[in-house]
Amino acid sequence: MRGLKLPLTQTQKVRLQRALEKLEALSTKANSNASVAIADTIPVNYEDGFLKGHGTTELNGEVVATVCGVVERVNKLVYVRTLRARYKPEVGDIIVGRVIEVAPKRWRLDINYSQDAVLMLSSINLPDGIQRRRTAEDELNMRAIFEENDVICAEVRGFQHDGLHLQARSQKYGKLQRGQLLSIPSYLVKRRKQHWHYLDEYGIDLILGCNGFVWVGEHVETKDEMLVDQADKPDSQTSKTNDHSTSLEGQEQTYTPLETRQNICRIANAIRVLSMLGFVVTIEVVMEVVNLGVSQNMDTHEMLGSEFCVLVAEREAERRSQKKNKG
Amino acid sequence: MNGLSLGEKLFVQGGIAQDLRSDGRKRLTYRPIYVETGVIPQANGSARVRMGGTDVIASVKAEIGRPSPLQPNKGKVSIYVDCSPTAAPVFEGRGAEELSTELSVALQRCLLGGKSGAGAGIDLSSLIVVEGKVCWDLYIDGLVVSSDGNLLDALGAAIKAALSNTGIPRVHVAAEASGEDQPELDISDEEFLQFDTSGVPVIVTLTKVGRHYIVDATLDEESEMSSALSVSINRKGLICGLTKRGGAGLDPSVILDMISVAKHVSEQLTDRLDSEISAAEAVEEE
Repeated sequence: MRGLKLPLTQTQKVRLQRALEKLEALSTKANSNASVAIADTIPVNYEDGFLKGHGTTELNGEVVATVCGVVERVNKLVYVRTLRARYKPEVGDIIVGRVIEVAPKRWRLDINYSQDAVLMLSSINLPDGIQRRRTAEDELNMRAIFEENDVICAEVRGFQHDGLHLQARSQKYGKLQRGQLLSIPSYLVKRRKQHWHYLDEYGIDLILGCNGFVWVGEHVETKDEMLVDQADKPDSQTSKTNDHSTSLEGQEQTYTPLETRQNICRIANAIRVLSMLGFVVTIEVVMEVVNLGVSQNMDTHEMLGSEFCVLVAEREAERRSQKKNKG
Repeated sequence: MNGLSLGEKLFVQGGIAQDLRSDGRKRLTYRPIYVETGVIPQANGSARVRMGGTDVIASVKAEIGRPSPLQPNKGKVSIYVDCSPTAAPVFEGRGAEELSTELSVALQRCLLGGKSGAGAGIDLSSLIVVEGKVCWDLYIDGLVVSSDGNLLDALGAAIKAALSNTGIPRVHVAAEASGEDQPELDISDEEFLQFDTSGVPVIVTLTKVGRHYIVDATLDEESEMSSALSVSINRKGLICGLTKRGGAGLDPSVILDMISVAKHVSEQLTDRLDSEISAAEAVEEE
C-alpha cells in the first residue's frame, strides 16, 4: 500500500491484507477491460478515422498506451486517463486555495494545480456588501480583505487568456478562519452536488475542495448582506486590530471552544486516515469513520494509529460488500 | 505549504493551550513511530525512521583508522546530516547548508559530548583495536527525506536504530608490531560484533509555544514556536547533551522545568523505541 507506513503487528497486517483483498474482489469487473498498462495495445477500429490523444503513441502500426490508466473514447478521440493525475480544474468546481501574492486588482492563489489561480477584485463581494464599481481606494485596500497566506474558498469561473480565474461572489465563499486545512490527493475527492457541508450537530463547516484541499473549521454564520448594519462595520475593524495587538489573555478568550475543537480534530483525523488508505472521501464515509472512532472509545490521536487504520479498512470492505449485495 | 494564515495560527496556538493539538494529540504525545532497519545493505548498519510526515535515514560505516594522539584509547565517530531536496524545494543546492550544519552539530553534542570526548553517549573506547595504533572510525550519516517537523528527534532515533543494527567486523591482530609500524590486521568478513547501544541516548525536543511546551512538533507548530530545547537522555536518566534553538530567551527556571519534563517523556520514548527497533530487527531477519 503506497505510503502506508505504520507500526503494524502481525495480526494487524493479516487483517489489513484480508480487507484490501476483499475490496479488490468487490471492484467492478466491467472496467477491467478498459484498464491498460504501459505498452498495452489499445483496441481500435483502424478503418474508422481516429485521433490519438494523451497517453497513446503509435508503435509498429499499433496504438499503444504510454501510461497506466483507463482507456476513454470521446467521439473519435482515444486517450488514456491516468488514475492518479494532477488536479484538473473544471468550470464550477468548488476549491480551497491559499493566497500567494497580492497583485494589482487581483490575488494569486495556490490551488494544487500546475498554474496559480487568479481571483479578481471584481469577482468578490466587498465587505460592506454594497454592489458598486471598484475604485482606486478599493485597490489600495486589497490587503485589508485578503492577505498573503490566507485560506479562501472559491469557485472556478473558467480559463481566461491570463490563466485560471475564480470567483467568490456568494456569501458562502471567502476567507476561512478558525480551523485547519488538510491536503489530500485530489483524485480522492469526486465531483458531487455539494462540497460545502455544515454539520450542525457539531457546529462545524467541512469543505471538500475538488483540488484536494479540505477545510475543517468552526461554523461561521453567513450573514445576509442586506441586513448588515453600520454597527457591524466598526466591530469587524476592531476585532481585526485585536488579533494583531492583543495580550495572551485576550487571545485565549477568542480560542475555539474545546468541544468544537475535539470534533474538528476527529473529523480531520478521519480524513487523514481515509487519504492514507486511498479511499474516496465523501461526507458519508467521513461521518461513518468518525462514529466508528467514537464507538470504539478511542482517543482522538489514536485515530491515526495502526489499530484504527485496520478497523477503517475492514469497515469500508464491509460497507461496499453490503452496498453490492443490496444493488 | 508556505506560511499559515492568521486564523490557522490562532487555531494551532489555541490547540496547544487547550491540550488538544491539530491531530488530537496531547502536548506530550508522540506520533506513531515506524522503524525499519537494514535499509542500506552496503553499510555496516542502517535504519529508516518515520514519525508522521517526517522521514529520515541513518547509516553507519566503519573503517579502520588511527586514533588521535591526544586520545590514544578512543575510536573516532563523525556525524553528518544532509537534507535532501525531496524534503523541501528550498533545500536544493546550498539552501540546506545552514539546517544541515545545525542538525549535525546538535547531534554531535547530544551523542558525542564535548571536544575532549568527555560525556559521550556512545562509548568510544569500545572502538579501539590496538591502543594508540589502530581503531575503528565510525562515519554516521543522516539523510532527511521528508520533513514535517521534529527532525532532531527522528534523527536521534534513526541513529540509535542504525547503531543497534551495526555489525563491526571482528579483527585479529596478526603480529605485535614494534614502534611506529602498523600491526598486521586480519579483518573477518563473516564474524561481526554487534555494537552495544544500551548507553546510546534518545533525543527529546521540547518546543515552547506561548506558555506551554509540546513534544514532537509538526511543521505548522514549529512555525509558531518561540524557542525549543533538545535534551538527550540515556537509559539511566542522565543528560548527555543539551541544545537550545530559537530567538526568544528563556528564564533558567523554565529551562529546569523543561529538562524535568523531557526526562519524564524520555522514559516512555526509550521503551517505545527499543520495542520498535527489536520489532524491526525481527522483521529483517525473516
